[in-house]
Amino acid sequence: MSMRIAVGKGSCGIAAGAQKVYDALAPLLSGTEIALGTVGCIGMCWLEPIVDLYENDTLKARLVQVQPEDAQNIADAAKTGDLSAVRGRIITPEDSEFLTKQTRIALRNCGIIDPDSIESARAAGGYSAITHILKDGVTPEAVIACIKVSGLAGRGGAGFPTWFKWNAARQSQGNEKYLICNADEGDPGAFMDRAVIESDPHTLIEGMLIGAYAIGAREAIVYVRAEYPLAIKRLEHAIAEAKEAGFIGKNIMGTDFSCDFRIKAGAGAFVCGEETALIESLQGQRGMPRLKPPFPAQSGYWYKPSNINNVETYANVAWIINNGGEAFAAMGTEDSKGTKVFALTGKIRRGGLVEIPMGMTLRDVIFDIGGGIRGGREFKAVQMGGPSGGCIPAALLDTVIDYKKLAATGAIMGSGGMVVMDEDTCMVSMAKFFLDFTAKESCGKCVHCRIGTKRLQEILTRIVEGKGKEGDIELLEELCNAVRDGALCGLGQTAPNPVLSTLRYFRSEFEAHISEKRCPAHTCTDLLHYEIQADLCKGCTACARKCPVSAISGSVKQPHVIDPAKCIRCGQCIASCKFGAVTVK
Amino acid sequence: MSQIHFTVNGQPCVCEEGTSILQAAKQNGIEIPNLCNDESVRVYGACGLCAVEVLDDGRGKPVPKLLRACSAKAMEGYVVRFDTARVNQSRKIALELLMSDHTGDCRGPCQLNCPAGTDCQGYVKKIAQGDFRGAVEIIKEKIPLPASIGRVCPHPCEQNCRRGLVEAPLSIAFLKAHAADRDLAGDPYRPVPAPRSGKHAAVVGGGPGGLTAAYYLYLKGHDVTVYDAAAKMGGMLRYGIPAYRLPKALLDREIAEIERLGVTMKNNVKLGKDITLEQLRSTYDAVILATGAWSSMNMRCPGEELAGVTGGIQFLHDISSGEGEISDLRGKRVAVCGGGNTAMDACRTAIRCGADAVYVIYRRTRSEMPAEEIEIEESIEEGVTYKFLTNPAEIIGENGRVKQIKLQVMELGEPDASGRRSPVPVEGKFETLDVDLVIMAIGQRLDPAGLDGVALTKKGTIEADAATYLTNLEHVYAVGDATNRGASIAIEAIGEAGRCAAVVDSALRGEMKPYRAPYYSKKNVTAADLADRGKQPRCQMPTRPAAERAKDFAPVNLGLDDETAVREAQRCLECGCHDYAECRLIRYAQQQEIHPERFAGVMHEAEKERRLVCIERDNGKCILCGLCVRICDEVTGKGILGLIGRGFPTAVKPEFHDPETAAVCAQCGKCAEACPTGALKWLK
Amino acid sequence: MQCSCQKQQSDLSLLAPVLREYAAVPGSLITILQQAQEIYGYLPVDVIYHIAEQTGTTPARVMGVATFYTQFRFQPVGKYLIMLCDGTACHVNGSSRIAAAVQEYLHVENGGTTEDGLFSFSIVACLGCCSLSPVMMINEDTYGSLTPAKVLDILKEIQKKEGAA
Repeated sequence: MSMRIAVGKGSCGIAAGAQKVYDALAPLLSGTEIALGTVGCIGMCWLEPIVDLYENDTLKARLVQVQPEDAQNIADAAKTGDLSAVRGRIITPEDSEFLTKQTRIALRNCGIIDPDSIESARAAGGYSAITHILKDGVTPEAVIACIKVSGLAGRGGAGFPTWFKWNAARQSQGNEKYLICNADEGDPGAFMDRAVIESDPHTLIEGMLIGAYAIGAREAIVYVRAEYPLAIKRLEHAIAEAKEAGFIGKNIMGTDFSCDFRIKAGAGAFVCGEETALIESLQGQRGMPRLKPPFPAQSGYWYKPSNINNVETYANVAWIINNGGEAFAAMGTEDSKGTKVFALTGKIRRGGLVEIPMGMTLRDVIFDIGGGIRGGREFKAVQMGGPSGGCIPAALLDTVIDYKKLAATGAIMGSGGMVVMDEDTCMVSMAKFFLDFTAKESCGKCVHCRIGTKRLQEILTRIVEGKGKEGDIELLEELCNAVRDGALCGLGQTAPNPVLSTLRYFRSEFEAHISEKRCPAHTCTDLLHYEIQADLCKGCTACARKCPVSAISGSVKQPHVIDPAKCIRCGQCIASCKFGAVTVK
Repeated sequence: MSQIHFTVNGQPCVCEEGTSILQAAKQNGIEIPNLCNDESVRVYGACGLCAVEVLDDGRGKPVPKLLRACSAKAMEGYVVRFDTARVNQSRKIALELLMSDHTGDCRGPCQLNCPAGTDCQGYVKKIAQGDFRGAVEIIKEKIPLPASIGRVCPHPCEQNCRRGLVEAPLSIAFLKAHAADRDLAGDPYRPVPAPRSGKHAAVVGGGPGGLTAAYYLYLKGHDVTVYDAAAKMGGMLRYGIPAYRLPKALLDREIAEIERLGVTMKNNVKLGKDITLEQLRSTYDAVILATGAWSSMNMRCPGEELAGVTGGIQFLHDISSGEGEISDLRGKRVAVCGGGNTAMDACRTAIRCGADAVYVIYRRTRSEMPAEEIEIEESIEEGVTYKFLTNPAEIIGENGRVKQIKLQVMELGEPDASGRRSPVPVEGKFETLDVDLVIMAIGQRLDPAGLDGVALTKKGTIEADAATYLTNLEHVYAVGDATNRGASIAIEAIGEAGRCAAVVDSALRGEMKPYRAPYYSKKNVTAADLADRGKQPRCQMPTRPAAERAKDFAPVNLGLDDETAVREAQRCLECGCHDYAECRLIRYAQQQEIHPERFAGVMHEAEKERRLVCIERDNGKCILCGLCVRICDEVTGKGILGLIGRGFPTAVKPEFHDPETAAVCAQCGKCAEACPTGALKWLK
Repeated sequence: MQCSCQKQQSDLSLLAPVLREYAAVPGSLITILQQAQEIYGYLPVDVIYHIAEQTGTTPARVMGVATFYTQFRFQPVGKYLIMLCDGTACHVNGSSRIAAAVQEYLHVENGGTTEDGLFSFSIVACLGCCSLSPVMMINEDTYGSLTPAKVLDILKEIQKKEGAA
C-alpha cells in the first residue's frame, strides 16, 4: 500500500490557504513513506483548500476546507489509513456531485496531475497524441480533417470553426508562420484558462504542438495575462521540461517538424484578447486592433500567416486526436459539438470550474451542478460572456447551452464566464459595471467605441445615481445600436450587449431608476434611504458605534436617528442592528 | 489586374482589382466622407465616417455589416451606398460623438451673434492687413449695404466680442463702415451675377430686407423687380434713420450699386392701391414681401387723439421726407415717450429741428434703457432732458391741441421675465410738463393694407415659416419687420432676406431647400482665459462737438482714418477657428442635422494652445484620427508625436514637450497639413 | 507626465543586462518595460528615454506603449500595493463597498498613494479568485471574502506593524 497526499495549489487554493496547509503537512510527512505532492485546481473553488488522499493512485478521500491545524490529523490518517479523525473534512456526497455530473475533456487532468511534473502528465496520457502523429506519419491535412470532424469551435467566445482557421493558415503562402495561444483571459469573472495552465500546462503545449504541426508553424507563442504569475511560472517550467524531453525544439522526435515555444506576458489590456490587438501587443506596440481583412491567417504576427486560438480550444486538441473527431462530435448539439468549460461564480452555492457537454441547459448547470443560489435567495439572472455578453433571466433558464441558442437570448457563449445573480443584484448597476469596464478597456482608436462606450457609461452612471432623464432609455438604445454597427473591433461591437440584454429583460428596473428614482434591488446607494424605526430601536448604540462616518446620533436607551446628509449608505448599521430597527428604502 | 465594376450611390464606378471602396469612389469622382484616411499612410479605420452599406454583394445578397470604405475592397457587382438610413445614422452618431468631445469655436462670437451671420472675424482680418477691398468682398456675402449698416447697426457682434473680456470690444461696425466707404470712394466691388435663370421675382418693399433679398436673388441668377410705396428706395434706412446718423447721399450710392447690378426698382407703387398682390403673384415666379412695420403703437393713454401727438416712426418719416407739417420746432417743447433707439432718433431729431426743450419720458432708469449707451450720452450732450421713472398718465389738451403731459411717477419693483426690474406706479405721485408735441416711440406695427389673403399672426404680423419664409400663399415669402415677431433691427431683416433668397433660389430651381441653422462648435471663454492678453484701448470715433452738430443733420461721426482702422482691426483675438474653411469635421457635421448635446459628458481638456517647434496644438479640437502621429512615423520617419494613454482619455502628445524635439522635428509641416480639424496649426 | 527638465537620475546600469538581451529583438518593448519596472518599481522618465535610445526608437513611441497598458506605473508606489479586484463576481459580491471603505479610511484615490507613502491603492481587473470574492491582494498576499470591517482590520494591522497612525 502506498499513500500519497495531493494538495490543490491553484491560485484560488493558495489564496484560500493551501500553501499553509502544505507547509504544515511537509514536516509531518518528511521521512515517512507518504508522498506529499502538488496538484492544480480541481475546480471546486468553494471548498478550497482541498487535500486528496490517494491509496495506490486511487482517490481514497477528498478533504475540503482544510486548515493548517488539520495537518496532524491528515498525516495520521495517511499513516494509519484510519479516516475517523478527518471525517469532518471529507467532502459530502452532495458536493461530490459537482464533479460527477461533469464531463471533463479540457479539464481532464486538472487537479489530478502534478502540473510541475511532465512524468505526471505523461502518466495521464500527455504527449501521446503528438507522438502518434509524428511517429505514425499522420499528415497535417489529416490532423485538420480530424479536427473538422470533431466540430471543435473556438472557445474564446466567437465560436469560429477551428479547422477552418487552421486550414486557412496552412493554405497561406510562406515558410514563416506562427501559432499563437490567446491566454489573455480578460473577461471579469472568468478563470478557465488560468486553471488549465496552472493545473495542466502540458495539455496546452501538446495541443499547440499539434496546431503548429498542422499549419506549418515553427514557432508557438503563448500570450498570458500578467495578472497570472503562477500560470506563467508553471508554463515556463512545463516548456522547459518539454524541451528537455524532446517535444519542443528542432527535429522533434527525429522528424523534420521543429517548433519553439515562447511566453509573452501581457501588460494589462482587455482589448488584447482581440486577435489583431494581441498581435500588435506581441509586436511590442499599443494593443490597438487592426482592420480585418486581412485576417491573421493571411497576415498576422509580423504580417506572416498566423493562427490564434485560446487555451481551452488547444486543451481539447490532444484528446480529439487520441479519441477521434467522431467521439468529440458525439457530444453536444447539432450546432455545437463537444464540451465547454464554465467558471461558475457569483451568488451561487457551489462556485467553480464546470465542464459539461454542449446541450445541457442553464438550469442543469446552475441548479444541478452549482446547487442553486446561496443563502436561500431567488435566482434572478445569469450573466454570460462578460463584457461582450448579456444577462439571461430566470424565465429562460431552460435555454440549451449551444452557440446559436445562447445568442438568441441576447447573451453569448463567450469564453465561459457564468456569473449568477440573485434578487439583490441591480441589473442597471450590472449594465453600468460592464460599461465601466469596456469604457476603461477601449483602446481609444475608433470613435464609436472610444466616445460611444464612454457616453453609454455616463448615461448609465447618471441613471444609477438617480439623475436619469426621461428619454435616457431610448438614447441608450440608439447609441448601443450605433456602437454595435460602427465600432472597429469585437470589443466595441459587443460592448453594448450587456446594456441591450438588460434592457430587453429588465426594462422596468431602468424605468424605476429613472422615473421613480428607486432601485428595486436596493443596491444603488444614491437611491437608498436609511432610517431607524423608533419603535424598534432599543438605543443599544451598536449602530452608532459601527457607523464609519458618525452619521447616527442618539443617547443610550433612546431611539437613534440617522443624518441622511452624512450617511454614506454603507449598510453597516443594518448589519449591526440586532433588532431589525434599521430599514432601507 | 482585372477591372472591377460596381456602383456607389447608384453611380457606376470602375477600378482596378484590390482598390478600396473609398479610393475607388474617389477615382470615380465621388467623395465618401472620411476623417482619418490619407493615401500617404496605412489604412487606420478609426473615424468610422466612411461606413457604407453594400446592398448587393454582386451575387444578389446584401453584406450584413456596415463596411469601412477605407479598408473594404471594391468587388465586382457591389451595390454600395453611403446615403441609406443606416449609414446616415451611423455617420450622424459618429459626428455627434466627435462633437461631444470637441472644444473650440468654429466661428467667433461676433459672427454667431450677427443676425446675418456676417464673417466679422474674416473681414476684420482683411482690414488688419490693410485689404479694405477684401474686407468688402467678405461683408458683401451677407450685407449688400455695408456703409449704411456699419453706421446704424446696434452691432450685436460688438456686444459679444470677447475683446470685451479684456478691455473693450472691437469697433466692428465702424470698421465695416470704413471698409465700405473706402470701397465706394474708389472702384466699388461688384460681384459677378450667375447666368440668368429666366425666372423673375418681385420684392415688395425697398428697405434693407427687400433690397437684400433682391441683391442676392439677382446674384443667384434671377431677375428681380423691387416695388416700394415711397418716392425713393431705402425704407427705414431712409425714412426712419435720421440723416445725422446715415447721410442720404451715402445710402443713395449703395442703392445705386444694387440697381447697377441689374435689379429693377419701381417707386411710388403701393401694394393694394397701385398694384395688387394677386397681380404680382400671377406675373412673377416668386413674391417676397418685405413691407416693414410703419405704424407706431399707441399707449392707450388719454389724450392721444389730440393734435400734436404723433408716432416716433411717423415723426422721423415726416422730417426726413419733408412731407409732414412739422419741420421747424423752434420755440416748441417736445416730449418723446420711450427708451429705445427710435426714441433716441426722435429726441435728437427734435433737438436738430430747434426745439426749446426735449424730454425723454421713460418708465425705468437709464440702465434699463434698450437704446444704445452712446446714443443716450450724445443726446444728453445735445441737450435732451431725461425724465426717468415716469410714465405718461394723460395728455392734456387745450382747444384740441396738446398743452401738457401728466406723468405718473414710477419706482422699480421685482424683476420681470426679461430680468429687468419692472416699474410700478408710486401711488398718487404725478408730475406735469408743459409740451407742444408728444412723440410716442414705443413700438411699431404693421399696416396690413394690400396684404390680401395673407395669413397674419395674433400680433398682426405676417405669418412666415421659420425655415422656408413661405406665407400661407404659394410662391409668396415674407421677411423682416412685417413678419412673425414684428419690428427689429435692420440687420435682422437683412439676415432673413439673405437666407430667404437662398430658399427662393432653390425653389426656383425646382427643389426647395429650407434653411437649417448650421451646427457650430462653441466654447466657453471667461476673462480668466484671456488674462494673458495685453490691453489695447478701443479706437475712438471722432465726432463733431455737440453744440455744432445739434444744429444740423450733418453726420455726427467723422469717420476713422486708415491707420486707426487697421490698428483697431489688429485688436481682434481671432476667436473663430483658423481652419474653419478647411475643416472636414465641420463640413460633414453641417451636412446633416446633429445634436451632440444629447451626448454631453466629460471632454478632453482644451489645453492652452502652445508652440512646439513650429506647430500650435489645440487639444480640445483633436479628434484622435492619429494622422499626425502616423505621418510623423510612417512618412517622415521621425516618430516624435505619439498617442498617450488609451480609451477615452487618449491624447496626442509630443514627447514630453521636450526641447530636444525641436532638434528631431523635420519641420515638414505634414502633420498640420494632414490634420482634418483645426487641432494643429502650422506657424511657418 | 513630467517635463524632461526634471529628469530623475536613475541608475541606468541596472537595466544593461535587460537591454543586452532584448534591445535587438524586434517586438520586445513590452518585455523590456516590464523588466525595467521590476528593477525600478515604476518607469522613471529617464529610463524611458534610455530605453528609447537603446532600442532605436523615440520616447513618444515608448511612452505610447507604456501608457497603453495598465501594468505600467509612472510614479513610485507605496510600500504596500493594495489591488482590489473588481471582476464581475467581486462586483456582484460588493467590491465597491470595499473600495469605498479603503478610500475613505486611507484618503486615497484609485491609482493613488497615501501621503506617508505606505499604501498605494488600485482597483484592478479580475484576479481570477472569483470564488473568494470580494478579493484583494496586498503585495503578494491574497485576502478573500472581504467586508468593509475586515478590510479596515487588515489595514490597521499593517499600520500597526509599520508604526504609522
